[in-house]
Amino acid sequence: MKPNVKPETDRDADELTGRILAAEEELIPSSGFLAATMERVRDEAAIPKPIPFPWLRALPGIVLAVAVLGWYGFELARVVLANAREISSTQLHLTAAAGRALEPAGWVAVAFAASMLSWLFARRLAGRSGLL
Amino acid sequence: MQPRRDGNGLTGSRGALFEMPAAISAEEDLADVNRVLAGEVQAFEGIVRRWQGPLVNMAWRYCRDRGRAEEMAQEAFLRAWRGLASWRRESSFSTWLFALAANVFRSELQRFPAVNVPLEDVAEPAGPATQHEGLADKQCHDAVRRAVLALPTRYREPVVLYYFHEMDVATAARTMGLPEGTVKARLSRGRELLRKRFPHLNEQSTPLSSIPRPKKEVLQ
Repeated sequence: MKPNVKPETDRDADELTGRILAAEEELIPSSGFLAATMERVRDEAAIPKPIPFPWLRALPGIVLAVAVLGWYGFELARVVLANAREISSTQLHLTAAAGRALEPAGWVAVAFAASMLSWLFARRLAGRSGLL
Repeated sequence: MQPRRDGNGLTGSRGALFEMPAAISAEEDLADVNRVLAGEVQAFEGIVRRWQGPLVNMAWRYCRDRGRAEEMAQEAFLRAWRGLASWRRESSFSTWLFALAANVFRSELQRFPAVNVPLEDVAEPAGPATQHEGLADKQCHDAVRRAVLALPTRYREPVVLYYFHEMDVATAARTMGLPEGTVKARLSRGRELLRKRFPHLNEQSTPLSSIPRPKKEVLQ
């Protein structure tokens, strides 16, 4: 194994570089630095804290929405499975039944997407206004 | 404690800004942080007063531009103010503050890089025979410092922080949030690049004995 020993000249060069960098003079912050920094801090402190999202108030609504969606998903699966069992012999009927069953699901999906978009838009507006 | 000031806004001695009993500073920092967290904005002034020198100097070593150094240091203080509650008191306040400042400086310089020349374009100083010796030395030292700024970021930061922290690898590593081994390796590579850039530094510069010896030995 090659020993990790530097040649004398490299050690000297490193030491010299080290001393040059270590012996650097110190900069004194300008006289207004402290005041300017504190002014910015005070400005920052004066900004009202963002209003947190009212999770507690929203919780019943969220729970209800999740329950309704869950129930709907369950019902949808039940109807599709029941229809599939009844008319499994006829591919055409199955398609029609599934199509009928999925029709309201499409509307629900559209409504859900619209709600999401509206929520995102509202958040974006609130963010720009500094509320968030 | 304010260091003495000379004509050009620089102190004469390395480390003058840090000559503060660590225990007192730590106690004061803790007391001020508690007061700030209790809602007393003015208490933050004590923190800025104690740490403005180190932070401005640290920023200066990152960019070599006085105005920008102060702006970056101010930004670091502002971030410290915002994130004061996130200081988990496992590490000292200074460690937390330096690490936060290093992050701020790094990201600021990523957004708007400091104007620096490539390492190979940093002029090697002429020998002392051609010029006044003192001037030649000053030019040589300036060239070395400019060369540090021209190092690739991954090697520059360990070199800057190692010498800023008075050659304490552990502190430099904590400030960067890297393992000590990584910092040592990058430091070694950074030195190697500097050595290659200035192959005749030994012959051109002041003899080693005339430059003040740092408190600790240079890491080999």
